Order: sequence, then C-alpha cells, then structure tokens
Amino acid sequence: MGAVKQVVPADIGGESDVAMTGSGTARQGASLRKILPIVEGAVLVAALVAPLLLQDYLTVFATRVIILALFALSFDLVWGYAGIMSFGQALFFGSAGYGVALLARDLDITNIFLVLPAGTLIGLAFALLLGGFLLLGRHPSSVIFVSLGTLTGSYAADRLARGWYYLGGQNGIPSISPMTLGSYEFSEGSAFYYLVLGILVVVYLLCRFLVRSQFGLALAGLRENEQRIAFFGYKAQHLKAIIFAIGGAIAGLAGSLYAFHEGFVWPNMVGVVVSTQVVLYVLFGGSGTLIGAVIGTIIVEGVSFWLSDNYREIWPIILGLLLLLVILFRPLGLISFVLGERERVGSFGAGNKEKHDASP
Amino acid sequence: MANAFVAAFEILSFGAIIVLIVLGLGIIASMMGIFNFAQGEFVLLGAYVTYLAYAKGVPIWVGMVAAPFLVGALGFVLEALIIRRFYAAPIVAMLGTYALGLIIRETVRGLIGGFYLTVPEPVGGSIDIGAMHISAWRFTIIVITLMVMGGCYLLLSRTSFGLRVRATLENPSLARASGISTPLIYGATFAFGAALAGLAGALIVPVFSLFADLGLRFLIQGFVAVMVGGVGSFIGPVAGAGVIGTLSAALPWVMAPVVADVLVFVLAIVFIKFRPQGLIAGKGV
Repeated sequence: MGAVKQVVPADIGGESDVAMTGSGTARQGASLRKILPIVEGAVLVAALVAPLLLQDYLTVFATRVIILALFALSFDLVWGYAGIMSFGQALFFGSAGYGVALLARDLDITNIFLVLPAGTLIGLAFALLLGGFLLLGRHPSSVIFVSLGTLTGSYAADRLARGWYYLGGQNGIPSISPMTLGSYEFSEGSAFYYLVLGILVVVYLLCRFLVRSQFGLALAGLRENEQRIAFFGYKAQHLKAIIFAIGGAIAGLAGSLYAFHEGFVWPNMVGVVVSTQVVLYVLFGGSGTLIGAVIGTIIVEGVSFWLSDNYREIWPIILGLLLLLVILFRPLGLISFVLGERERVGSFGAGNKEKHDASP
Repeated sequence: MANAFVAAFEILSFGAIIVLIVLGLGIIASMMGIFNFAQGEFVLLGAYVTYLAYAKGVPIWVGMVAAPFLVGALGFVLEALIIRRFYAAPIVAMLGTYALGLIIRETVRGLIGGFYLTVPEPVGGSIDIGAMHISAWRFTIIVITLMVMGGCYLLLSRTSFGLRVRATLENPSLARASGISTPLIYGATFAFGAALAGLAGALIVPVFSLFADLGLRFLIQGFVAVMVGGVGSFIGPVAGAGVIGTLSAALPWVMAPVVADVLVFVLAIVFIKFRPQGLIAGKGV
C-alpha cells in the first residue's frame, strides 16, 4: 500500500482546485452524514460478537464469509468506485490461492508473514499484467472490451488450471497445511476468525481512506464521466490501472486466506463462477459503498447457507430473480434503503471540512 | 490423406457449430449494442425443447423445428418486459442478462437434474467417401449453417424488414422520424437472435448431449468471436466465429489441448486490443 500512497499525490496533487468543486455536495449533507458510520459500526459489532454466539461450525462458515467480504471489497473498489467492470476478479483471488498452495506444498512455507504478502503480491502482479494490458495503450479501451477481456482471462485461467497436471488438474491442490505463526497453527475456529476480521477491518479502513482522498475523487469522476476527467488533465488510464492493481492485490490477499482456510484450492476458484459470484455480492449490497460490499456478501452467503438444507435447487433461481429485481429497481443495492444518495457520494479530500465551517 | 481429410472435416464442423451459435449473439450485439449473457441459455433452451420432444415420443425433427419458434417467442417477451430497460447502459445490460441467464439455467437444471441426457441424431449413420467416414449429422449441421447464414444475409440485405433493422441500427431517431417503430424492430431483432440460438441448441444437442451448462460452454467463445469479427455488421461476427471456431478446432491437432485452449483466447484478446474495430470494421450488413 505504501507505494500507492506515494503515487497518489504525484498524479493529482496539483489539481486540488478542480477537486474541490466536489465538496459542494457535502455542504448541506453535514446533518445527514450520520447513517454510514452507524451501519459500519453495527456490522463491526455484530462481527465481533458473532463467534461468541455461534456454534463452532458456524464460526467456520462466518470466517469464510469474512474472507469473501474482503474479496468483494476488491471488486467494489474497481467497479463501484472507478467504474471498471472486472468480470474476472477471481483470476487474482484464485491465482493467489494457487500460489500460496504451491508455496505450502512444494517449499513448505506456511509462515503467515511470508504467505500473505506473497499472495497479495501475486494478485498485484497478475492485476498489473492484465490491467496494464487491457487498460493502458494509445487508445482508451471500451468498457465492453475491458469487461469481456477480464471475463476471458478468468475463463482461460480456469481452463489452464483444469488441464495442468502440476496444478492438480480438475481436483486442484488438496490438503494444504495450515498457516503458521512460529509454532502456532491457524486452524479453523475463532482465532482464524478474528485474524481475518482484523485484516478485513484494516483493509476496509485503508480503502475508506483511499476513496475519500483526492485520488478517490478522481476515481469517482472517472466513473461518472471518463472523458471529462481526461480533459481536466488527469491520466485516466493510469488511474484505472492503479486502482485495478490495488483491487487485484486485495483479491490476492483474500485468495491466500481462503486457500489456507478451506485447506484446498480448485479450478473454480480462478474461474467464471467465482468471478460472477463476487459481482452478485456487490450488486446486492450496493456498489459504490464499501460497507455495501460487506453487507451484500453477508446476506447472499447467509441466506444461501440458511436455505441450502431445504431449497438447494431453487436457491440459485431465487438469487437470479432477486438480482434482476435489484438491477431493475434498486440499482444502488440494498444499502440504498438506508443510505441517501448524498451520503453515498460523500465528500473528498482531507481539508474540506474546515473550509465548510469557515464559509457561511 | 484420409487423416488430413477427417481432421479438416472435424475442424469445419466445429467451425460451423460456433458460427451457428455466434450468429444470434452477433446480430443482437451488432444491431442492438447488447452483449447478451443469456444467449447461452437460449441455446440451452433450444436443446431442452428438442430433448422434450424426444422424451415425449414426438419425432426429433419436430422438436428441432419448434425450438427456434418457442425460444424466439420467449426472447420477444423478455425483450418487452426486461431487456428494453437496459439499452442505455451496456454494462447494466450484461448484468441483467446474466441474471436472466442464471434464472433460465437453474430452472432447466432443476428440470433435468444434474444429468447428461442424450438425444439421438435424426439423421444417423455416416457418409462414406472411399475409405473415409464422416458423420452424416455433422455434415447436416454444416449444410444447415450455410443455409441459415445465407438466409440471414438475404433477410438483412434484401428485405424491407432488413432495411428497417439497418436503419434503426444506424440512426434510431431518423428511423423513428421515418415512421419505423424502433421498439418493435428491437423486439423483433432480439427475438430473431434468440430464435437462432434456439436453433443452434436444437441442432447441437445430439452432438454434445443435454446438460445445464451446455450454453455456458459456448458463451465466452461466442463473445470473443463477436469481438474478433467486429461489432456493428452482420458479416463481422460470422467471420470472427469462423476464425475462432477453426482455431479452437485446429490447434489441438498440433499442440497440447490445454495450451491450445488458452492460446486461442490469448491470441484473440491481443488481436482485439490492437484492432478494436475487429476483422471487418463498419456498420451495415
């Protein structure tokens, strides 16, 4: 993340005059700007006490949900904030999972301080490669090209993983040894849960800082009208590549956690199935709000888990119907029931709060 | 010699299947600007209708004839109810059609269970040319594909309906001003594209058998083919389908199938990156 922070001011630091125009939206919103922290706090409290109330097997399930929420966050950053449709987010999730699985299997490296950065770097590297290729270049790429390009990348990776004997073929890599910290082994349970929750909170706060910064404002502009942002003198393609790479890194972190938590990786993890799943989470919860991604994941996975006993067959149909309804009637997701438009857009930059207080 | 001929026939027949599937996808993408994620499920529905006909004891070819009409009618209804709302936003259209596809696919999965159901070929046996045998049904598919291609081309280039479709594509507001009902044209175009997918499904089900993920298998190949060929014309996606279909059938003969599989996609994406307008640029037929 350090590298990213250094890039941000270099790219847009000199353009704060333009950026400040966005702060007008927050002026009247000051009195309303209360709901988001409440929702975030409620989710955090619920997540903190959950293992105390849940039975052991449900804690394991909750850990998985938290990891997937981290993954959803990465997609939300890319789609909800920068308007890049990444239909292949699982490519970074899964390749990091495969990467750490190979580290554990062939090199016997399971130290948490080695495998998690390694997974993050794998996700970052793949995202830089794919994003750099798809997004950069002399002509700006169309949204259709980027979305189908990422989808194709994910599909091709799926096929490759299925056919490559070294990666275990159809079966993937089973029985990965658990993640370690010194002699302590992270096995499924509340310790793993709190570890993952801690990581989610840290990443969430970093993302929140990022999207509320000047960089975030440029991203929002990118999402609303890319051409105008380019005319302002921003390097729109570079901004996109940067946020895509950050998204890839977060997905990689989630993927490596997922691999160690489940104890195995299999081709679906890089493929279209998981890629579209994360799109579902974020659309349900509400893209363009970080908490929406987390809530969407919890709801979709929770209801899916709850219904899976009796209604396993019809649940995907219900999911499809609900998704269609959300897209048609609630394009901003379930979070838009409690969150106003003004609060969703929010304000940007560090200094503009004082300015409001000063100006009548 | 005989081997080379068999290989050539295999490549040709697979290419024909891809062309058949991409036709509908290409028409919807070119004429309406929508990348229809539910297209694979329209293929699946066509296959399912054919299977139903077979299971109920009706001659298979009756099912194959009925499939495009039923799927086309469903496409018309879906366009009027849902797809119509997505025209302004291509990404939302992708997500919406994805949701539609999910509903259709899972419904069919519920109906057929997790099985692979086989449907016999209506034209069985093989055609013998000297010492070589080629499957009569695959040969029929090639012939039908050629006929459908020719028919679509004539429909779009020679009939008044085709003229209206092209007018709507090139300049919707001028088309409306000239008294063309563009919503009706969009509905008809979408239904036509869906009907072609239904026909494709009906024809390929004896070759691939019926399973819920049948359509998904071809969807991404189809998208890549449309992009390679070039969105905006009728002939572009067909050309792209020919290239992608031929490559994906031919490459496994010269290298490991896994590598070939991935290589086709990589080559296609690199090609599109450097030639975004595709093989055949420009609008029209």
